[in-house]
Parts: sequence; C-alpha cells; structure tokens
Amino acid sequence: MRERKRISRRTFLKTAAAGIGGMTLGLKGIEASAQDKTPAKAKPARKALGVDVIKLGGQGVISGAHADYGWQIQAGATLAVEEINAKGGVLGSKFEVKFMDEELKPAVAVKNARYLATEWGAHLLFGVDSSGSAMAVGPILPELDRICMFVHASTHRLTEELVADKGIKQIFRIAAPVYQEGNLAALIFKEFPNIKRWAGIHCDYEYGYSAWALFKDTLKKYRPDVEFVSIAWAPFWTMDFSSHISAVMAANPDGIHATPWAGEGVMLLRQALMLGVFDKIQAWFQCMGGSVDILEGISREVEAGKFKNKLWATARYIHNYPDTPENKKFVESFRKRWNRFPNYSAENAYSTIYVFKAALEKTRSLKTADLIKAIEGMKIMTAGGERFFRPEDHQAIYAVPGGRVVIDPKYPIPVLGDLKVFPAQAYYRHPPFEPLKMGK
Amino acid sequence: METLAFQGLIGLSVAMYLWLLASGLTIVFGVLGVLNFAHGSLFMLGAYFAFTFYGLWGVNFWLAIALSLLSVAVVGYLMERFFLRHIYNQDHAYQLLLTFGFILIFDDAVKMIWGGVAKIPAMPSFFEGTVSVVGRPFPVYNLFIIGAGLFVAVLVWLLFEKTWWGKMVRASASDREMAGAIGINIPTLFTGVFAFGAMLAALGGALGTPVRVVAPGIGAAMIIQAFIITVIGGLGNLKGAFVGALIVGTLSAYGVLLFPVFELFLIFLIMAVVLMIKPQGLFGG
Repeated sequence: MRERKRISRRTFLKTAAAGIGGMTLGLKGIEASAQDKTPAKAKPARKALGVDVIKLGGQGVISGAHADYGWQIQAGATLAVEEINAKGGVLGSKFEVKFMDEELKPAVAVKNARYLATEWGAHLLFGVDSSGSAMAVGPILPELDRICMFVHASTHRLTEELVADKGIKQIFRIAAPVYQEGNLAALIFKEFPNIKRWAGIHCDYEYGYSAWALFKDTLKKYRPDVEFVSIAWAPFWTMDFSSHISAVMAANPDGIHATPWAGEGVMLLRQALMLGVFDKIQAWFQCMGGSVDILEGISREVEAGKFKNKLWATARYIHNYPDTPENKKFVESFRKRWNRFPNYSAENAYSTIYVFKAALEKTRSLKTADLIKAIEGMKIMTAGGERFFRPEDHQAIYAVPGGRVVIDPKYPIPVLGDLKVFPAQAYYRHPPFEPLKMGK
Repeated sequence: METLAFQGLIGLSVAMYLWLLASGLTIVFGVLGVLNFAHGSLFMLGAYFAFTFYGLWGVNFWLAIALSLLSVAVVGYLMERFFLRHIYNQDHAYQLLLTFGFILIFDDAVKMIWGGVAKIPAMPSFFEGTVSVVGRPFPVYNLFIIGAGLFVAVLVWLLFEKTWWGKMVRASASDREMAGAIGINIPTLFTGVFAFGAMLAALGGALGTPVRVVAPGIGAAMIIQAFIITVIGGLGNLKGAFVGALIVGTLSAYGVLLFPVFELFLIFLIMAVVLMIKPQGLFGG
C-alpha cells in the first residue's frame, strides 16, 4: 500500500502531536461527591464550632487505571464520616465530604484544592494519590490557609523538604512514606545471609528512584557483602515488562526489589512468573504488593503456589495487622459497608477523619493555626495502630510490617503472613534530614 | 553473547506485539487517510471483550478471541458507517476531534460497563511454561506472540497483494475517484477496511489479556508507541510499520539491558534521526 499524498507528513505530525498532547491533558475525570446522607437538621442549641457542617475537601485519582486508589480513599473517608455523623457529629456539627478527581496531575490537584478551599468552602483538606500532586498542593496551603492531610502520596520530600526544611506547617501526612519501601525492606532482608545479589525493577520517576536509593543505602549499612547487580527502569504505564525482567535476570540476582504499583504491579508479577523468575531467585520484594488490588489480582497464582513462597511485600497498612479491637472493628465495618477489604488508602483516609475529629474536639475551633497545634505531636489510636505526628516534619509515625504473600484460610484473598515487625522508629528517617542522594 | 541473543528474542516478541497495533493503524491511515486516534480504544475494547467472553463467561480462549474480534469489528463498522464517513472531505482537525472524542466516550463507557478496577483474567494453561533458549527460560507465550505477529504480517500481505479485494483496496487508496468511476463501491470498501483495522487492534488487546491487565486507559498507553512506529516506518506504509515495530521493539529491549539510564530517550532519538535523514519515514514515498 502506498502512502497517500492527501496528508503531508507535517500535517500528520502536527495532528499527532496535538492528539497526544490532548490525550495527556484531556482524559477528564469525574467529579464525585460523597455527600453525607443525613444532612444536619437545624437545632436550636448553638454549635461549639459555629457551623452546622464541617466541610472536608478530599481528592484522589478516581479515573483511569489507578482509579481504585482514589475509590479506596473515598470509601474510607465516607465510612468514617457516616460513623461520626450517626453518633451526632463533632461538637454538634456534622461532617460533609466533597471528593474530587486529581487525575494524577499536579495542575488538576492544585485547581481542585483551590476550588475546594475557596469556592466550596472546605474547612479541611485531605487526599491526593500522586507524589507530584502532593508536592504541588503543599506549597499553596499557606495561601489557602488550610491543613491538608496527605493520605497516600509517599515522597519523603513532602515532609522532609516542605515541612522540616521550608516550614510549611499546613502539611501533614498520615500515611507511611517511601521509608516503607526502602528501609523496611532492607531491615527484613539483612537477615537473609544467602541473598547477596540484588536487582531492582523500578518506576522511572521519583518514587522508584527514592525507594531504590533508600533500600541500597540501608541494606549496605548492615550488609557490606551485598551487591546491587542490575537495575531496570520502567516508565509510568509500562505494560510489557518482559525486557526489564529479562535484563535484570541476565545478572543472576538472588533477590529483586520492585516498585511498580497497582495494575502495573500485577502485570510485572504475572510476566515474571511467565519468565520463570521464581525458579531462579530466592526472594522478590514487591514494595506495595500488600495493597488489596494487587493481592486480588494475583490471588489465583498465589493459591496455585506459583510464587513458591518467595514473594514478599508491604503496604502503608495491611488489614490483618495490628490485631487490635480498633482494627477489627474498622475492617468489619468497611467490609459490611463496601463488600471489599480496605486498602491502605482506605485506612489512611478513615483515620484522617478521626484525627480531624480529635483535633476539632481538642481546639473547639476551625482556625487552621489552632488545628495545626492540635495535630502536631498528637498521639492517637487508629485502625492501623498508634500514630504519633512528629512535630518536626508532621509525619505520622506508625509501623506497618512486611511479610510473605500467603494464603490464609481466614481470608478470601491472599494476605501478608510470616510478618516481620519493626518499630517505626527503627526504619523511618529522622530529622534533621540529610538530603537523599537518588537518581537513575 | 547469550544475554544479547536472549534479550533480542524478548525484543522480537515486544516488536511483534507492537506490530499488531501499528498494522491496523497503518492500514486505516493508508487507505482511508484517517488518523485514527481511537485505535488504542479499539485495542482496549478488544481486551475487554476477550476478558468478558473468556474470563467472565468461560468461553474457550480461541473462541473468545474470535468473538472479541467480531465484536470490535462491529464497533468499527458503526464508527465508520455513521461517523467517519462524513468527515473524509473535511479538514483534518475534524478527524482529530472526532477520533479523540471516541477515546473519551470509550474510556467512560468501559468504566460504566466494567467498572474502574483493573480486570485480570487467568492465563490459559497452554501458555504456561517455558522453553530453553541459550540456557535461559523463554516463555511459550512470547513465542506465540512472535508467531502471531508473523502470521498477521503474512496474512495482510496475502490479503492486499494476492486477493481481488486487496487490489480494489489498493486501487481506491491510490485514486479514490478513478476507482469509483470503474465501479468499485468505495463507501462499502472503506467500511470493510476500517472494520479490518479495528479487528487488528482488537487482536492485540485480546492476545494481551493472559499477561496484562484490562483497564481503562490501556489504549492510550499503547497508542503513542504505535504512532512512533508509523512515523519511523513511513506513514501508511505496511512494510514500514513492520520494520518500525522491529526497530522500536528490539531497541527498547536492548536499551533496558544496555543503557538503562536513557532507554526511553533512545526511541525518540531514533525517531528524530530517521526524520532528519528521511523525513518521509524509512519507507515513506
């Protein structure tokens, strides 16, 4: 077939460029609102906070391939709001949530934050999945005069640079940052003397760089004998990992440390199985493999024993830890309400609402400055265990274990077992922070 | 050396998979002159249909693939018959708007029908296992993809070079008015070509389901590489698309192995070099 002359190459390229540009900008998501079903009835008594409703503006990615993460944030927050409102709210005022799609785009997240704070009138903000979005929203919070509780975005720079260094006090993070991926994995695998050769398959953006840098630095400290033999970087939305897997396997690693998450994580693991990786290596650490969507996605293969008990993972909360009444109650209510297991973003969002409640009850004020003081240094029991908001960097300190991906007859999907629990103090970085050297 | 050979074979399987997507895009562009941005969406629909037939309803895998191809052919038929047909003579901006609009519609439609959570069908047992290549395990599935890509290449060549239908298509592609004047039913022919291109997209989507996930957005993720391939190979040129896919597939595999730091950049560099030396693409006329 010969080329048609009707469209010149230049026209094609222009059209193609416009189209691709449009594609990245355009895929507009849906704005969702998880409004409280029981609007506050006007009561004659005066509210301590002076408002009928306390407005909470949330964001997460609720469109596209990562939509389940935003859904989990929304589901967790909605559950907490329903529970609290059913018991009369906070000091007589009810919570109301408006939830928006950040589309994993910093510019959209900033626009949403501005809209939620200034037009819709949110008193408090929470959310965002993407680290890029978090780093963009953080700096505008002083201008908006609102707190934002970050429930997923994991870059260490959010709390280390923006809070500890630059002093943006309106930023708080309830979720474990990338220390979980890097340092915890190192503490677990320093105990395996036969695993000496490590390779990485990592996201080709800051998340992958920082996780791999932390893992290498920390492991090397304890185990000078380990080698890092190979690394493959996979851009966002890689669907075929076979060249990455085959490239790192050429170096005969004993262990593989990997960051691709959500659907990409599932594809990576399926393709690794296909390439016979688990016959050769001793351990594979899938950083956020403890996320419910990944566990659901690989459940057939786990049941069939295809990972040969060599697949390890962690998350920013796992539903089978800790064994406390608070966690049991949360998991039970969540399953009852949504008919699914809560992911870490669900627990992080659920606990966020309870942190807000505690802060509001303590200050009896909606003023951002008062609320910052209330959350700084707060110790609070949550479903994910006791959290302490470190005053220096506003990072919640709590421990999440890592473990092997196993089948437990008590659960319909795989869970993490053979749990390795380390105190959070042992694997979180501490202020004053040395800038982390990372990069390709 | 063994490492290079093995990585090359992996690269070949990546290339053949990309070729499935690039071939349909090239045919539609070459014959109809339409740059179909929604080609990736047809790829995604192919994956969703295959998931539904195979993963949900338990239909035999091969039958599920066939049904998925037919279903997407119907979608392609409707797209061409009721929408694209009306913009052949319009400015190219209309093509962009229309096909881009279809991306949004299809993305939202799959979310409404199948939900936003990624779907993960099981891998059929006959794809499991590996064969030894230079002492390392090579997946049967990747071998199959290489075979499927070559099969499609031969099929497309036979179809366009050796059949009466192919001759009519080529005639209409080179001179639409003349072909019409000698009695070829151009609109029907174009509908058929578009549906055929849609089926090739669906084949890529459906054959990917055993090792990938099915999710909204997978089409947009794939289509950019397909565009790069068609630009490198020469627009609307099938031989060019095949060679372009081979270049992009194998070079990206070698890039990951040998230059992990700038593997991504490598593909764009190749595209830039090709465009500088041969602005019409490698096989562009």
